Amino acid sequence: MEIFDALLAGFATAITPANLLWALVGCALGTAVGVLPGIGPAVAVAMLLPITAKVEVTASMIFFAGIYYGAMYGGSTTSILLNTPGETASMVTAMEGNKMAKSGRAGAALATAAIGSFVAGTIATVVVTLFAPTVAEFAVKLGPPEYFMLMVLAFTTVSAVLGQSALRGMTALFLGLALGCVGMDQISGAARYTAGQMELLDGIDIVLVAVGLFAVAEVLYAAMYEGRVVETQNRMSRVHMTTRDWKRSWPAWLRGTLIGTPFGCIPAGGTEIPTFLSYATEKKLAKGDDKAEFGGKGAIEGVAGPEAANNATVTAALIPLLTLGIPTSNTTAVLLGAFQNYGINPGPQLFSSSAALVWALIASLYIGNIMLLVLNLPMVGLWVKLLKVPRPQLYAGILIFATVGAYGMRQSAFDLFLLYAIGVLGVLMRRFDFPTAPVVVGMILGPLAEAQMRNAVALGEGSWWIFLQRPMSLTLVLIVLAVLVLPRAVRWWAARRAPLYQGTTP
Amino acid sequence: MSDPSLAGADEAPNCVPSPRAQTIVGAGVLLVAAGMAFGALQISSEAGYGGVGPNFLPWLCAVVLAVCGAWLVWEARTGGFREAADPGGHPKADIGSFVWVSAGLLVNAALIGTVGFIISCTICYVLAVQGLRRASGQPQAGSVGTWIKDVVTGVLISAPVFWAFTQFLAINLPGLTDTGWL
Repeated sequence: MEIFDALLAGFATAITPANLLWALVGCALGTAVGVLPGIGPAVAVAMLLPITAKVEVTASMIFFAGIYYGAMYGGSTTSILLNTPGETASMVTAMEGNKMAKSGRAGAALATAAIGSFVAGTIATVVVTLFAPTVAEFAVKLGPPEYFMLMVLAFTTVSAVLGQSALRGMTALFLGLALGCVGMDQISGAARYTAGQMELLDGIDIVLVAVGLFAVAEVLYAAMYEGRVVETQNRMSRVHMTTRDWKRSWPAWLRGTLIGTPFGCIPAGGTEIPTFLSYATEKKLAKGDDKAEFGGKGAIEGVAGPEAANNATVTAALIPLLTLGIPTSNTTAVLLGAFQNYGINPGPQLFSSSAALVWALIASLYIGNIMLLVLNLPMVGLWVKLLKVPRPQLYAGILIFATVGAYGMRQSAFDLFLLYAIGVLGVLMRRFDFPTAPVVVGMILGPLAEAQMRNAVALGEGSWWIFLQRPMSLTLVLIVLAVLVLPRAVRWWAARRAPLYQGTTP
Repeated sequence: MSDPSLAGADEAPNCVPSPRAQTIVGAGVLLVAAGMAFGALQISSEAGYGGVGPNFLPWLCAVVLAVCGAWLVWEARTGGFREAADPGGHPKADIGSFVWVSAGLLVNAALIGTVGFIISCTICYVLAVQGLRRASGQPQAGSVGTWIKDVVTGVLISAPVFWAFTQFLAINLPGLTDTGWL
C-alpha cells in the first residue's frame, strides 16, 4: 500500500502541466534522436546536461527519462526502414524487421515494435515500481566492501563479457578509469593529472567524454570512412496488424519482456544478450509457415520479441541506477551524471531522501510510455520524414549541438579542444573495435568505486582481506570470478568439442 | 554475439585495420600507460589510516594499461587483434574530409570566445558540411551556390539554438554583442 501511495503522489507531481510538457518534449526529442542516425540517447542527454544548471531537478529528470525512453522507440523505426545496421540495441530488430519491410510489411513491423515496446516498457515499469524500493531497503545494509564489489561486477560485465574481446574491453575500461582520475582526489584533495591546468582541477566532464566519443567521433568517422556508403530505404506501408499478426506478436512481447527484465535488473548492462536471446527463442519456438518466414519474408515474432526485450532491459536498468547508483550502459551513466549535477547521488538513500523526485520519475515512465505509443503509431509518418534529412547537413548540424553541450557546461574553449581530442580517440576506438561503453561507465563510476574501495580498506584497518571476510562481499567476489571464468570455460569446452562435428557440414 | 547471420556484408571489402596500424595502437596504449605512471610519481602516497592513498588507482591504471598495451602489440604482431569486427565503411580514410571537419571543430574552439556562438558555430557547420559533402562525392560541393546555401543553413541552425538556450533555458553561451540575440 505504501508503494501505491508513493506512486500516486508521484503521479500528482508528474501530471502538472509543466512536467507533462517536459515529458512530451523529452519523448518527442528522444524519438527524433532514435530515428536520426548519428546520435543516440546518451549523446542527446549529455548534450543537454547544461540545462541542469537552470531547470528544476524533477522536471529535468522527467525530460531526460523521456529522451532515454523515446530513443528506444525511435531506434526501431530506423532499423526497420533503413538497410544499414544501426546501434547494437536495434541490430536484432533489423534482421527480421528489414526483411518484413522489403516484402512490403514495414507497417506491421513498426506496429509490433511500437506496441511491443509499450507492453514491455509498462510491465518493466511495474517491476521497477514494485522492486526498486525493496532493493533500496536491502541496499541500505550494504557497506563499502559490498558496494565496491558491485561496482567491480559492473566493470567486469561491461568490459570483459560484452563485446568481442575482453582485452580491448579492459583497455577501454582502464582508459575510462584513467580519465576519471584527472582532477582533485575526492578523499585527500590531492590534484591528479592536472598538468597545472586550472580547467582540469574539476576533472573532465562526462559531457565532454560522451559527446566527444559518440557525437564528434560519429561525424569524423562518417567523413573519413562512410561518405560513399550507399543507403537504401524501404517503402513504408500502412501501420496495421492483422489478426494473425496480433496472435503471433503478443506471446513474443511477453516472452521478450520476461527475458529482458532480469537482464536490466542485474548490474551487468547491455541489451545485446537479452535481445539476441529473445530472437533465438522466437526462432526456436516458431513452427511451420511462421518458421519459414525467419530469414525469408521476415517473421513478425523476430521483431516483436527482441523489441520487447530491449525496452524491458532498458527500463529495468533503472533499478540498479536508482537503488545502487550503478549505471550499466552509456545512457544510464550519463543520467547518473545528471543526478550528480544536482548534488544527488543515486543509491539506497535516494528513496528516502528524494522520495518525491524518484516517484515522480517512475510515474513519468508510465505517462511517457503512453505518450510514446501515440507519438510512434499514428504519427510514425512524421518521423520517417526525418530519415530524408541529407547526411552531410545532419552530421554538421550535430556539431552545433555538441558545442552547446560541451561549451554550455562551463564556458571554456579549452573544453572544445578537449572535445575534439576525445572525438579523434573515439574514431580510433571504433575503427579498431574497442567498445566505448566501458570508457563512459569507468569514467563516471571510477571515482565512486575508488572512494568505496578506500573506505572499505580503511574499514578493514588497512587489510584487503575485508573483501573476503564479509559474506555478501565474498559472494560478489565469487560472482565476479564466475562471470570472468565461466564464459571462457564454456567457449574452451565448445572449441574442444567442435572438431568432433567438423566434416559433417559441407 | 557473433552470429554469422548478423554480418550480412560478405561482398563488402574487409576494413579491419592492418596489423601494422594495430601495432601502433597497442604502442599508443603503452605510451598512455607510461604517461599515467609518470603522472602517478607526482601524486602523494599519503594513505592516512586507510592504507590506500590517492596514487593507488593511477598506479593500477598505469600497470593494467601497460599489460593491455603489451598484449595488444603481441596480438597485432601475431596475426592481428583477435575477433576484431569489421568496422565497415571504406577501407581507406578520406583524409581531406577529415581535415575539413577537424578545421571546423578547431576554428570553432578558437573563435567562440571572440566572435560569439552564432558566427563561430556557423563557420564550424560550413567547414564540416563541406568536408562531408566532399566525402560523399558531391561534385557541387565547392560551388559558390553550395557555399551560400551552407552559410544560410548554418545560421538557420545556430541562431535558433543560441536563442533557445540563452533566452529560454538561461544557459550562458557567448555572444558577439551583449544583446543576447547575436
